[in-house]
Formats: sequence, C-alpha cells, structure tokens
Amino acid sequence: MPRVLLIGSPNSGKSLLFNRLTGLSQKVANFPGITVDVGVGTLQDMRERELVDFPGTYSLQPISAEERVAVAEFEKALENEEVEQVLCLIDATRLEKSLYFTLQVIRDCQRAGKPVTVLANMIDVLDRHSLTFDTEGLAQAVGVPVLAISARSGKGLDQIVPRLQENAGVQQGRVDGKLAGAPDELLRGEAHQLARRFGPKGDVLVRSQTRLDSFFLHSFTGGIAFFVIMFLLFQSIFTWSAPAMDAVETALAWMADLVVPLLGEGIARDFTADALFSGIGAFLVFVPQIFVLTFIVGLLEDSGYMARAALICHKPLRIFGLTGKSFVPMLSGVACAIPGIYAARAIDSPRKRLLTYMAIPLMPCSARLPVYSLLIAAFIPAGTAFGGLVGWQGLAMFGIYFFGMLCGLLVTGVVSRMSKDHFNDLPFVLELPPYRMPGLQPLLRNAWNRAMHFVTKAGKIIFTVTLVIWVLGYFPNFGADLGESWLGHLGRLIEPLFAPLGLDWRYGVAIATSFLAREVFVGTLGTIFGIEGAEENMVPLVDHIQASGMAIGSGVALLVFFAIALQCVSTLAILAKESESRSLAIKMFFGYFAFAYFAALATFHVVNLLVG
Amino acid sequence: MQSLWSMKAGESCEILAYDDVLAGPYRVRLMEFGFHPGETVVCLQAPAFGAPKVYRVSNTIFSLDDEVATHIRVRVYA
Repeated sequence: MPRVLLIGSPNSGKSLLFNRLTGLSQKVANFPGITVDVGVGTLQDMRERELVDFPGTYSLQPISAEERVAVAEFEKALENEEVEQVLCLIDATRLEKSLYFTLQVIRDCQRAGKPVTVLANMIDVLDRHSLTFDTEGLAQAVGVPVLAISARSGKGLDQIVPRLQENAGVQQGRVDGKLAGAPDELLRGEAHQLARRFGPKGDVLVRSQTRLDSFFLHSFTGGIAFFVIMFLLFQSIFTWSAPAMDAVETALAWMADLVVPLLGEGIARDFTADALFSGIGAFLVFVPQIFVLTFIVGLLEDSGYMARAALICHKPLRIFGLTGKSFVPMLSGVACAIPGIYAARAIDSPRKRLLTYMAIPLMPCSARLPVYSLLIAAFIPAGTAFGGLVGWQGLAMFGIYFFGMLCGLLVTGVVSRMSKDHFNDLPFVLELPPYRMPGLQPLLRNAWNRAMHFVTKAGKIIFTVTLVIWVLGYFPNFGADLGESWLGHLGRLIEPLFAPLGLDWRYGVAIATSFLAREVFVGTLGTIFGIEGAEENMVPLVDHIQASGMAIGSGVALLVFFAIALQCVSTLAILAKESESRSLAIKMFFGYFAFAYFAALATFHVVNLLVG
Repeated sequence: MQSLWSMKAGESCEILAYDDVLAGPYRVRLMEFGFHPGETVVCLQAPAFGAPKVYRVSNTIFSLDDEVATHIRVRVYA
C-alpha cells in the first residue's frame, strides 16, 4: 500500500495529528535493535494510503546510537518506492527550533524525489494571541507548500488530504532545488534567517510559560509542587490501581472456581488450577498498574510538567550517572519494577536509560514487602527505643527499603564510572515545552497500547516460566509433597550454595520458587512447614521459623539477599523486551544474584560476630 | 569572558563562542536549538543547589546543566 511519512521534531504535536488523521487506528512497531516506536495507521479520508508516524527527532544529524537508527530508517524509507510523499510537521510558535530540521527534510526529499508538504501546527495558539505567521512567504522561500493547521482544534486539517491527493501517484524525480545540494551548516544559517523573516514576532508566547515556571521551578513552591505531584503519582500506582488489580484477581478466581470443579481430580484439574490460572494471573494482575502509570506519566509529559520534574531531580541523580528523567521510573519501581521499566522509555539518552534499567530492579518493590514482613517479624525484636518513639521492626523495614535504593544508586554510580566512554551520550539540554492541557483520548490509547504490549510480549515468557516451575514442583509425585518433587530435589541440590548463609534446603526451594514472584517465597515456606494460608496470616509461619533454630544472622542475610537479587521472571521478561537485549537481562540476573549472595554472606558473618 | 552558567536569573547575554572541550556533536545540537554565536539568551531561572538553569533563546525555553553551560562563552549585557 502507498505510504505517507509523517515526521517532525519532538513536542510539535505529531502524535495528536497522527491520531486525528488516522482516527486513532494506530498499531505500534519497533525498529530493530532499539526501542523507537513507529506508528502505522490508515488515513481516514484516503483509505488506500497508510500514514507512518516517525519518531520525533531534532535533526537529521544524529548524536546517539538511537538517533542514528531513527535517521537511517528515515533515509531508507525515502528510497522505498512505497513511500509516496512526506508530511513535515513544525511548531509555528517556535519556528527556529523546527526550521533547521525542516530544511534538512526538504533537502533529503528533493534528493530522493519525494514531494514534501510542511504543516505549521499550533496556529490556534498564534490566533489566540493575535500573532501572525507568513506561511505563503515561507512556502515561496523554501519551495514547498506550507499549510497552517491546528492538530488540537482541527483548524486547517481539511487542506491536508487534497494536498496528498494532488501528489498521489506523482513520480517527481530528483529535484535540483536550491536546498538539494546545501550542506547542514548553510541550512542552519538559513533556518535562523527564515524564522526571523516569517515567524511570529514578540515574546507573548513565552510570558505565560515563564510565569508558571517561576512557580513550578521555584526553590520553595516548586519543591512543594514536586512533592505533591510525585506523591499522587506514587498513590496512583500503589493505591488507585489496587482495586483494579484486586478485580483481576477476583475475576480469575471466580473463573477458576467455575471451571476447576468440572475437571474432577487429577493432573488436568491441578494443571488448570495451579498452572493455567496462576500463570495467567501472574502477568494479568500487573495490567491495571501499567495502564494507570502509563496514563499518569503521559499526563505529566503532555502537560509539560515532566520536563520540569526532570530538571528538579537532575543534579542529585547526576552524581550516580543518571538523569532527572530517571526519577519517575525509579519511583514507579518502588511499587513495581515493570511499570517503572516502561516509564524509562521517556529517557532520551540510551546510556542513562540503560543505567535506569539497572537501578529499577533494586528499588524496594511491593512484592518484597511480604518477604520483609515475614523475616523482620521472625528475627527483629518487637521492642521500642527512645521512649517508644522508634520501633525496632519499623526501623528495620525503613533500613531495608533505604538499603535497596542505596544499592540501586551505587550500582549505577559504579557502572557509569566504569563505562564512561562506551556510549555516545546526549548532553543535558532539555527543552521546556509550553504548558498544555493534555488530550484524554490519546492518553487512554497510549495507556491501552502499553498494557497490550505487556500482555502480548512479556506474558508469553512469564507464562512459560510459570509452567516450567509448576511441572518441576508437581512431578514425579503429582503434587503430593513439594519436598519430594523435582523442585524439592533442586532445593537440596542447591543447598550447599545456601548452607554458608545458615540456610537449609527448605529455604533453597522457597528461593527457587520466588523466581516466579518474590512474594511466592512466603507461600512456599508455608507449604513446606505445612501451614495453610501463610500469605494471609504469617504468625504461625513466624513461630515455625523461630522454632527451627535459624540464626538471626541467616535471617538478616536473607533480607539483604532479597533486597538485591533479581529473581522476578516478569521483570526479566520486560527488561529483555524493552532493552531489546536478552543478554542484558541475563547478565543482570546473574550479576545481581552474585551481588546479593556475597552481600548476604558478608552480612551473615558480621551479624553473627556482633551478636556473638 | 563569562560563561552561560555564570549568569544570574534575569540577566541577558550574547553568545560569543563555544569552548573547544565541548564535543563537536554537542555544539551542533546547541546550534540546532538556536544557541548560535551572536544570539541573545536570557537566563530565566537559576534554581538553588546547582540544579540546571533555565534559559530563553528565540521563543523557546531550554534547561542546561553546568557540564554544557560552563563551556559556552558569553558577554553579559549591562
């Protein structure tokens, strides 16, 4: 099918225009080797043409590896016969920033013989401030049509399809216009001149933005606003998505109750109840959280606040090789690593995104909470200090949370210093876009796409691993005794590994099953100790652990192990998908396992030394 | 000659040149954003604790950290 390319610089309103022209019929694909989304949709008023939404880029002169791939794909697309013409979107309110890129696009299109139409977006903003933009003058100067439009209000959009129809099927051939042979340096100067000649005059547009910035970036008011907004974001992941997550679990339990009794006794029943429904539940339960977080992050991005938040956090995170944009993904990781990893897409620097990926799994996620609660209840005294103001167990919980975050920052700090020259990085030059009212439909669509991406891509891996672990735990005695299953034997096999930490095979089995999800550790120990419902009521399990004579050093070592180890199949699956690198996920799994093991071993000896 | 990073909030300046230590692609990217030699830049915000500063160039607002802004030579307008 003939294709039309849509290209433009970031923050020019490209996604909104794409959704307008295609009626939100977007499907998302990735470039090979990197995570750059390319939307493809059918033009609503020209059903025989596909619109391809290229990733926003500031220039066709790339700096990072990711930009290089995006630009190479654009150049390849221009050679593709299916690509009929190009729409180049510019922000009419900030012409200079867009024009250099536009001139590069026009030049390359002329060389490739592809007709190009420039769309000057946000004309409604200029109208509102009684500003003018000489589109005809610019069109004459650059030698291609320039249409004034507003993707938000819909003004001028009716000109686009007639223009596309005019160019449809036209074989233009190479055009030797004045731009065709122009080097980048010349285009840069030309863009500067053209913006001055034809762009809107005056600074009325930035005045309102400056007023809001003086509040949101003020040392005091900005700090309070940041804290409130991040608190709401954290609440959205932890609290607001909880009812939907509970609903997913309830719906699956209801379906299981409906289906399982029909299967009688035996393997089919056990498989359906424990592997099928547990396997599906293991990843479906994350969908509401991913949806809510993607929606809120999109809201912050589209409103313009995200760039301000990145600015506020940049300085302290830079010490550890990260960027201000790493903060939201890391904060999300405190609830769950998976939405956090998705949120890291907003980081434009590949190097800093990779470092953020490394930090997120060390954030103390909610799945660690039941494990921490169990171990702290079993090994830390319930007493208080400082006249009852501080409880030792509460202090231990705070300490282990803080320890995880500190480990995340230390790991990125060390890796960043060790691999300084291995990446081509982007400088911290952050455009602060104007504050805007976000559109609800594109936000919902984006959140839905992200949730579906998780279900279709990571779900398969999570489900497969769940099945493997179920088979290991079920056979050869058909679920009669977990201790005598293949998984039990595996626990005994790895017992020598955990013996230096003072842990026997039962903990080895529980650690092996916690690969599904960390909280499974509690349920597995409950099963081994013969306690029903240990996840809901931990007291009998705590009593059993204390009665088993396990040393306090082993308990604290286990806490440290769980704070660091990356034994979560869902996180690994999504890490591999988002980074497009299985080897990264594998290296992180083994690297963090070794780090966790030796940190736990050191803790075991230090605690034993201290308590005698 | 002062650097862009030394500017206080409310001050304006003219960009004179880039230091050689600033990598070539960084310089190109800054010029793409409008930070040309000869261009006027206004420092809008200089937040506390060394956070990146906020600058206006043409009709666009950018934030630059000290790693970049220290290497842009400017002449501050009186």
